[in-house]
Amino acid sequence: MKVSPAVLLATLLLASPASAADSVIAITGARIVTAEGPVIEKGTVVLSGGKIAAVGADVSVPAGAQVVDGSGKTVYPGLVDALTTLGIEEIRSVAGSMDVQEVGDVNPHARAWIALHPWSDLIPVARANGITTALAAPEGGLISGQSALIRLAGSTPEGLTLKAPVAMHVVYPTGRPPFEFARIFEEPELKTFEERQKDKKTNQEKDLQRLRNLLEEAKAYGAALDASKAGMIPAPKPDLPMEALAPAARGALPLIMRADDEADIRGAVAFADERGLEAIISGGLEAWRCTELLKAKDVAVLLKVDRLPRKESDPYDAAYANAAKLFEAGVRFAIVSDDASNARNLPYEAAMARAFGLPADAALDAITLWPAQILGAGDRIGSIAPGKDADVFLATGDIMDHRTQVTAVFIDGVAQSLVTRQTRLYEQFKDRP
Amino acid sequence: MRTKLIALVFAAALPAGAEAPSNALAIVGATLLGVGPQGTVEKGTIVVRDGKIVAVGKGVAVPPGASVIDASGRFVTPGIIDAHSHTAVEDGVNECTDAITAEVRIADVLDHADINIYRELAGGVTAANVLHGSCNSIGGQNAVIKMRWGKGPEDLVFKEAPRGIKFALGENPKRSNFRVPGERRYPGTRMGVEATIRGAFDQARAYKREWEEYEKKARATGVRKDKPVPPRRDLRLEELKDVLDGKVLVHAHCYRSDEILMLIHVAEEFGFKVRTFQHVLEGYKVASEIAKHGAGASSFSDWWAYKLEAYDAIPYNAAIMASHGVNVSLNSDSDELARRLYWEAAKAVKYGGVSEAEALKMVTLNPAWQLGIDKHVGSIEVGKDADLAIFSAHPFAPDARVETTLVDGTVYFDRAKDLAARSKPSPLAETPKGGGR
Repeated sequence: MKVSPAVLLATLLLASPASAADSVIAITGARIVTAEGPVIEKGTVVLSGGKIAAVGADVSVPAGAQVVDGSGKTVYPGLVDALTTLGIEEIRSVAGSMDVQEVGDVNPHARAWIALHPWSDLIPVARANGITTALAAPEGGLISGQSALIRLAGSTPEGLTLKAPVAMHVVYPTGRPPFEFARIFEEPELKTFEERQKDKKTNQEKDLQRLRNLLEEAKAYGAALDASKAGMIPAPKPDLPMEALAPAARGALPLIMRADDEADIRGAVAFADERGLEAIISGGLEAWRCTELLKAKDVAVLLKVDRLPRKESDPYDAAYANAAKLFEAGVRFAIVSDDASNARNLPYEAAMARAFGLPADAALDAITLWPAQILGAGDRIGSIAPGKDADVFLATGDIMDHRTQVTAVFIDGVAQSLVTRQTRLYEQFKDRP
Repeated sequence: MRTKLIALVFAAALPAGAEAPSNALAIVGATLLGVGPQGTVEKGTIVVRDGKIVAVGKGVAVPPGASVIDASGRFVTPGIIDAHSHTAVEDGVNECTDAITAEVRIADVLDHADINIYRELAGGVTAANVLHGSCNSIGGQNAVIKMRWGKGPEDLVFKEAPRGIKFALGENPKRSNFRVPGERRYPGTRMGVEATIRGAFDQARAYKREWEEYEKKARATGVRKDKPVPPRRDLRLEELKDVLDGKVLVHAHCYRSDEILMLIHVAEEFGFKVRTFQHVLEGYKVASEIAKHGAGASSFSDWWAYKLEAYDAIPYNAAIMASHGVNVSLNSDSDELARRLYWEAAKAVKYGGVSEAEALKMVTLNPAWQLGIDKHVGSIEVGKDADLAIFSAHPFAPDARVETTLVDGTVYFDRAKDLAARSKPSPLAETPKGGGR
């Protein structure tokens, strides 16, 4: 029954003159998992000016630094969850609390960082288990919108935003009608298997053609906009969606394309390749079936581990062993929660990948350094190295072990409160007679 | 290290074709968890005969002729029991057309070929409470199953399990979060949910009285010609009458603390017990009341915020209810989550400091009690069914994986065999030899 020491530590640190970015903190005597270099069995991490100033076994504590005794603890780089709806989701079933999916299916101008809710109760819950950065990404439709990389601390949308835009999110057309919970009670149309297959192919081709046209149009619009800025032609008519899509259409912004089936992953890779665009696959349930292609085209995958296999005949552990197969083939990937309320379980997705063949250090990289690199923030976050953002946390042991407690979280060198909506309710009711 | 089924030298010494002298099986060398009152046994042996555990402990002799599973360095737990599942249900888990549908039976729609049975075996699950959905205040009758993959639909049924029925409170029976074509079905509020349950038990009580009066008259009249006419049989009320008579365990889907209390009041007024509150995400707010009623609680470890009634859900729920004396289990309600319930249990250690032994019980012995099958399964004890899971490491450890799962002493999942089978070409893929016309 121990939330209190962690809360106490956080409170002490918060109470200190933690206007913070300029205060110096030294975490001493801890095991340090750097994610970039080797593990330091006993060492010191110095956080200064919001950055990691030094890390090592023989680093001395700067004069005047606030010392955090890390003996018996492990220091980790803050975990990076490369696919979530944190900040734009509160309660799934309550429409008023959801800013995840815009109306219509072509929304390149929907920008996650516009709608971030700094006081979401979901954010502290994720943070309290060591998640310090998350990609907040719109969902659904054909073009879902643009994502933002957010640090899980801050009181304004601007304060939360670490990098935006990060990518244009596209749902690779599957040809299947989108799942709508509200329609599960409607009678399905009676069709043969062949008719359904034909419909799927027709719908998929139709949507792909729309996507091609949209990208072509946006590319042209972007060129026209550039030309008008150079004074060569009059300004084109304002078109918000086209203007928003233009950078992605000319390859200046990566496309994160959601695709699970092997054929769809191959389709998405080919689609981006033909246009010279950078594609990142999200979902990637059957990525293990096309590791050679992903490696050859150097396409990264944002992978959720805890899923059922696609087909009945697939190995029972197809999704669990997916990460290990990508790793062996040299495909770049990150493990993601693809969730909001339980983004905190990110390290346990990595644990499952580890139980099914992914080496332990790779499992950690897959939730720290690799997502940072894939999302273009590898110079800022994802490992404990001098010059990087001071996003670190202390844990009582292996963060992939469900029994481990997180005892302190620092974002930009500032100690974060570990109090959440859930610890408050726990304290309120644990001793109710 | 690989689990190997080793035929002992004794068996090899027998003349060819002779019957093995014993159908015994011994699992040796493992750390045993969930061993009755002892808890943990290091380097222990389990001896199984006719599907039952006949000996367990350290230094227990392996009977001559027994086949042996060498589980050195591994961990054996009682088979995991999922107290809330919809696995192996062939289509439609909800009979949504009425607020009370106590007459429908999950056992009638069991799909023994559901691949998720095998996948869950691979997560150490050996038994599950297959429940009707939460579409209505009183749904259908449950089926407690054993994961006897490869057997027929009737072989799935856990024969010794008492009958059970699904109740549901809150947003789902109110149908708050989805629209159904046509006119709205009653109820649409928590007031209405209570009214439908109360109304149903009013009728069931009257029905019970009718039958009791008839039986009394029938006894009194004996074999005379003017025998009384029996009341008209009503399958719906008959089931509810059996709830009143304590023959059917009530498993009630619920979220908010007020609706938990509501059902306790209704149950106590009509004189029946709620066996488990399912989900019961706000159970921690009324833990004492649940304990006093004598109900168990079967919850998610940490799901929350997917709907309004789940916004106050906390991962400390299991710990708080357990510390107030409630029998707590952790369930999946999901074919996917069911495969890693051992890690759901580990979260009870993290959130609220439940001991590891008690946490393991939350997916073994406690759900067994909740389903009324704890005399048969839920712990590694002499006389119980040999439903066991063998893990590569401590089940709560981050690299833990299930290697072998047994039901009734029979290996239904073995990872080494599963892997070997993958590299074997399918017999269908082989080209037939010869003239082949």
